[in-house]
Amino acid sequence: MIELQAAVSGALNGSLFALMALGLSLAWGFLKVINLAHFAMILTAGYLTFELATSTGLSPIATIVATVPLMFVVGALIQLGYERFGVSELNSLLISYGLLIITVQVVTNIWTADFQRLPTEINPYASESVAVGSLRFPMPTLLAAGFAVILVVTSALVLERTYAGRALQAFGQDREIASAFGIDHRLLGVLLAGAAGASAAIAGMLFPIGGTLTPDLPFEWIGQVFAIVILGGIGNVTGTLYAGLLVGAISGLVAVIWTPSTSPFVVFSLVVLALVFRPKGLFPQKGG
Amino acid sequence: MLQVTDLDVFHGDAQALWGASVTVGNGEVVAIVGSNGAGKSTLVNAIMGILRPRRGRIVLDDQDVTAIPGHRMCRAGVAIVPEGRRLFPAMSVEDNLDLGAFNRLARARYDESLQWVHTLFPRLADRRSQLAGSLSGGEQQMLAIGRGLMARPRLLLMDEPSLGLAPVVVDEVFDVIETVRDEGVSVLLVEQNAQMALDVSSRAYLLAEGRVVMEGTAKELAKSREVRDAVLGL
Repeated sequence: MIELQAAVSGALNGSLFALMALGLSLAWGFLKVINLAHFAMILTAGYLTFELATSTGLSPIATIVATVPLMFVVGALIQLGYERFGVSELNSLLISYGLLIITVQVVTNIWTADFQRLPTEINPYASESVAVGSLRFPMPTLLAAGFAVILVVTSALVLERTYAGRALQAFGQDREIASAFGIDHRLLGVLLAGAAGASAAIAGMLFPIGGTLTPDLPFEWIGQVFAIVILGGIGNVTGTLYAGLLVGAISGLVAVIWTPSTSPFVVFSLVVLALVFRPKGLFPQKGG
Repeated sequence: MLQVTDLDVFHGDAQALWGASVTVGNGEVVAIVGSNGAGKSTLVNAIMGILRPRRGRIVLDDQDVTAIPGHRMCRAGVAIVPEGRRLFPAMSVEDNLDLGAFNRLARARYDESLQWVHTLFPRLADRRSQLAGSLSGGEQQMLAIGRGLMARPRLLLMDEPSLGLAPVVVDEVFDVIETVRDEGVSVLLVEQNAQMALDVSSRAYLLAEGRVVMEGTAKELAKSREVRDAVLGL
């Protein structure tokens, strides 16, 4: 029974990582940008959620009214910068690593390196949980899973069903030819990067709800998020969600069967195997 | 309708075109022949706005289009059937055609264009929901041409449309070029298969090492020693 609880809780935790991976995967797959600044946006949004909720007494969920538009603009501006300077895929990784380091430093200067936690009267979710049979799930992970599913399903529908989504797919498959048929890659790229930024704001909001904030959180996230992006298939949004659930469930199971410190070993062994045998991800898309 | 004057185009530091000048008149098929690496595709890509010329002018119906962004060229009335087809392989036949008509002017005539393309290539209608990547080589070429026509171009740039196709399919492709011309679309045809290209075109240019070395009527070029030596292998 404890294994089942561990696997399901792990999967729910994994969905939060899938939510973080979503924006990264979209930008990587469609814009050929490996944007580590995505983690900087998540971190900043987390602290802004903390700051807004504590100073105004608003529910942390309500703060997305401010953080989502803000991070949309930030994401779009960063993409405009990449476009303006014609940054290549590898260079985007290096530049955005720099942006991440700077952000972590700035956040440390503003909010200190100490743990920050939302007071319980503003954040009732931290102490709530839902029981299903003999299993118990903390409210924050359920919220995270709910937002992850909503955002992944929305992104998949937009990509598949809308004209702009199909244009984006075409752009991801052959940018020169897509452009020759009138697809304005700058406009689409900026909109997509903005949407990724908006998703970073939502992921960021979920961290103070679920626990404490420290400025070095991004370095804990990067490994697992990259594992999910690669296992899910770069640019494959539903694959990202499946990979998040899978990685989370495996981490949870390994942690109770062996020790928590073995889970990275198992997860990254899986990544290496996937890169060797399924380089396009575990959940291949049609025609890809 | 198209006037290309004195075009210099570079790939990085390597110059691929040297002062190339080419014109295409209304309703005309013009062939660009030359051996592999002569700069034929470079010329097409520069006209389409995929490559940016370093010097020279590209004028389309008295409008200077040398510097406009690539994604605006199709609204100016130019479409491309690229070398190697370059379809969107993970998308359906229908979606590929749909994206061909992405620009606003073409969008307005979508239904009419789709009917036109389906009449030209009935097989595309049968296979509309199949993925482009799963079509045969000939069908992919039909789709690439169909996608180009969906953009409702006045000038269609065709880059090696016969490459890698069975002879019977090549005949079909060249028939379509004549049909398209008869419906008033000008065609700039780049081909290594010089014999067939010269058969369907009225005028032609011979490119060698990035320079236009000869121009004239297709008949003149077909007879000339230079073309025979350079590409016909006679």
